[in-house]
Amino acid sequence: MIDSLLGLSVFFPIVIGFICLAIKNHKARGGIVFLTAVVLITSSIFFLRQGSFPIEHSPAPAWDWVILVLNYVILAYFLFVAIKDFAQRGISRHNVLTIALTLAAGIPLAIFEFSQAPHTPLEVAPTIYIDHLSVIMCLIISIIGSLIAVYAIRYMKDHEEHRMHLGELKETTQPRFFFFMLIFLGAMNGLVFANNLIWLAFFWEVTTLACYGLIRHDEVPLHIDNAFRALWMCLIGSVGFSLAIMFLWNSPLNTISLAAVIESGAPVLLLPIALLCLAGLTKAAQVPFQSWLLGAMVAPTPVSALLHSSTMVNAGVYLVLRIAPAFQGTHLSTLIAIYGGAVFLITAILAISQSEGKKVLAYSTIGNLGLIILCAGINTSLAIAVGVMLLIFHAISKGLLFLCAGAIEHHIWSRDIEDMEGIATKLPVLTGITIAAMFSMLVAPFGVLITKWGAMEAATGIGVWSTLVLVLLMLGSGATTVFWAKWIGRFLCHSPVPGRAKREPFIPLYHGILLILIGCAVVFSILIAPVYNGVIAPGLTEAGYDVASAFTTYGGFLKSPIGIFAAWPIFIIIALALLIPALATRAKPEESYASYMCGENVEIGTDEFVAVADERTPLKTGGFYIENMLGEGNLNRFVVPVGIVLLVILFVLVVI
Amino acid sequence: MSTGWLIGSAVIAVIVAPLIGGLLRGIDRKLTAHMQGRIGPPIIQPFYDVIKLLGKKPMVAGRAQLVFAYAFLALIVTAVVFFALRQDLLVVLFILFFGSLCLPIGALSVKSPYSQLGGHRELLQFLAYEPILLLAAIPIALKSGGFPIANIFEYGQPLLPDLWLSFIALFIALAIVMRKSPFDISGSEHAHQELVRGVITEYSGPYLALIEIGHWYEMVLLLSILGLFWVVGSLWWLSIIIALGSWFIMLIVDNINARLTWSWMLKFAWGAGVTLVALNILFINLGWM
Repeated sequence: MIDSLLGLSVFFPIVIGFICLAIKNHKARGGIVFLTAVVLITSSIFFLRQGSFPIEHSPAPAWDWVILVLNYVILAYFLFVAIKDFAQRGISRHNVLTIALTLAAGIPLAIFEFSQAPHTPLEVAPTIYIDHLSVIMCLIISIIGSLIAVYAIRYMKDHEEHRMHLGELKETTQPRFFFFMLIFLGAMNGLVFANNLIWLAFFWEVTTLACYGLIRHDEVPLHIDNAFRALWMCLIGSVGFSLAIMFLWNSPLNTISLAAVIESGAPVLLLPIALLCLAGLTKAAQVPFQSWLLGAMVAPTPVSALLHSSTMVNAGVYLVLRIAPAFQGTHLSTLIAIYGGAVFLITAILAISQSEGKKVLAYSTIGNLGLIILCAGINTSLAIAVGVMLLIFHAISKGLLFLCAGAIEHHIWSRDIEDMEGIATKLPVLTGITIAAMFSMLVAPFGVLITKWGAMEAATGIGVWSTLVLVLLMLGSGATTVFWAKWIGRFLCHSPVPGRAKREPFIPLYHGILLILIGCAVVFSILIAPVYNGVIAPGLTEAGYDVASAFTTYGGFLKSPIGIFAAWPIFIIIALALLIPALATRAKPEESYASYMCGENVEIGTDEFVAVADERTPLKTGGFYIENMLGEGNLNRFVVPVGIVLLVILFVLVVI
Repeated sequence: MSTGWLIGSAVIAVIVAPLIGGLLRGIDRKLTAHMQGRIGPPIIQPFYDVIKLLGKKPMVAGRAQLVFAYAFLALIVTAVVFFALRQDLLVVLFILFFGSLCLPIGALSVKSPYSQLGGHRELLQFLAYEPILLLAAIPIALKSGGFPIANIFEYGQPLLPDLWLSFIALFIALAIVMRKSPFDISGSEHAHQELVRGVITEYSGPYLALIEIGHWYEMVLLLSILGLFWVVGSLWWLSIIIALGSWFIMLIVDNINARLTWSWMLKFAWGAGVTLVALNILFINLGWM
């Protein structure tokens, strides 16, 4: 059973990915992608329904050979593309670093595998280890990921038609796009199930490959540069992986089984643990590696939704959450909490100054992942529960928001927030869903806010250092509110329109998928207590945390040791407070009036006012970005060094 | 405390809070007038105003504006109910924030130069006070053993002696929430010298009345949070004195200050306010308080 489920979740999408390479027909490819989505979703639900966790499993030994060979194939491919880039475009920071880091990742791994390890390939029992945390990740990848892949069928069609219309593109490149999307889905599922660190490192490499391939999909020079930046920054993580594998094998523990490392909890292992954390931090684009994720925003939007918000970057925080028990109670843990808090605050402030919608989403993603890292650093059972919850809710809401941004982009052909002024009148359904999605990131009673509440309670009273964590958390929380509210304001800003706005045509692959995801965000927020009891609490027990000191639930309420969140009553009250006026009120035409302009309005129904010499001047409004104070140019001078210093302190502390 | 009693107190809070809030606004206007050498309106003038506004012909510049005016009032009333039910203080604050956020979002949903400016400035005010209010909940929880407000009553000792640093910070936050000078960046609470009142420029008639009533609830709720600092024991009435005393000092501060810039407000709130609470938390964590 497990073999066939693993086959369906990991192997099947990879095979379909290769088949996609050969399919030139748009409809046929769409059909096959849709079918894969159905298979992945079904298979992930079967995983959830497996009776007893954790499941330990080792596939046939031949697979170890496959993984071993393919790992070097991928590394060789990285070398190849970097050298090719060097030949075509000359020397650059990106291709030199890619070559250097690929070698730095590959050579230690080769030394380990071919000279230090007693067998080649080194087998570990079990190769596959499945517990509730893996299954949660698998559900996120398979359900949200598949929905995004289905959305991409329509998105890429529009995207290519637009580019062909502009004359930037002659022939479809979609086979390659869906190849990367599907092998990525398979590799992600493999990543969360792998227990042998070599397998984990391999799947990690595949996601880096897909990320690289998808960012440079449009083959524009800027995109290629950004793809290389993502590649070499993620390769830093791969170097961390290779070194961690070497250190772990040569340590007293003498194993490369992730489960064994976590169970041992020996403090001598802090260095390899920190190296694994480093790999997680690079993948999650934490400061100072945030620039690769921002650069990655040039990719088509489904890529940003799938890789850069709901799944691949989550692999980074997944790894940190997974190994959190191994550094519980150490200084490393404390520093990771402070580091996560700093990232949360920094990115929230930087997001205020961004006028490109996707960049705001990217910063918010980095910030929320920072919050999960913070929870992993606090490392109590309550904090870990909150971290896992945020992982789920953030994946839903942020994946959804990226898809909304993509759908809006394909209606207005711009990513700039200022161009979204007043689109509530032109695209009322899409804007409504987007605003709901933003609220789901921002306000009570949605899941993300519940986790913020949980994080605050988890950080209270656990040590002197928690003061700093709390301050970072609260300041970041304030800044978060500003950039979301500001953006919502831009959507809604328009002159009076009599009656209701006319709805835009319903596009099933856009609106339908968005509605499913917003439905998930709502339902899971209301049912947070059953969700917690069903998948999160058992996961905590499996990871060795004391579930009694995390949340307790009664009657659908969530109760932490020091607080209580009446989840569903709050949801109902707030829904009523917003929905009743939203559905019942109508602005009657005779009540509409033009906005106040000191009595200098030209006439009602226009946006013009009478300026100097009685000239009719159109009114212009705009958002507030405070670029001179909070802009990237200004802040990155401090942000990147702060990130580097924090990481250096982290490693220095670990070594001594 | 029995459930019935709690529900009863929630109902009373919903009825009484706007009466107290309106009355305080009336006294505020009277005292302010005296400080400025004027006679001022009758104390119940705010009620006359609201009744008059409710009877006016509605004029709206967009449907979103309407929705957020209703939501503003409804959510703040919800926060008051949760406070009266002695729920988790952080949860009460989150609901209050959602309510408060409806005001700038409503203002930003009108294409109007003044309301846009006011809305953005209101967001900056939000940025200034939200961290202080949230942080101030931490020392309360640390002392009383949990975030539910019920814990403060069970704690059995006044909080102020240990938490006076947080109290001062809360006072700053409160002045920002209530848009008192020098923090009346997005439109002052009194129509002071202003003809165009920032964030509520585009609200008129019954919808302005909704916002006005919402403000009454908001003020009473925030003063009640200050009252929590001395709510137990035989001297429980001190909580009322503390709340009203703070309100009175705020009124004086309002009258002797001029409006300052938003960047100053932000620096002051984060510099002084956040630091005070942070120190308070630090001292408690160190066991010094």
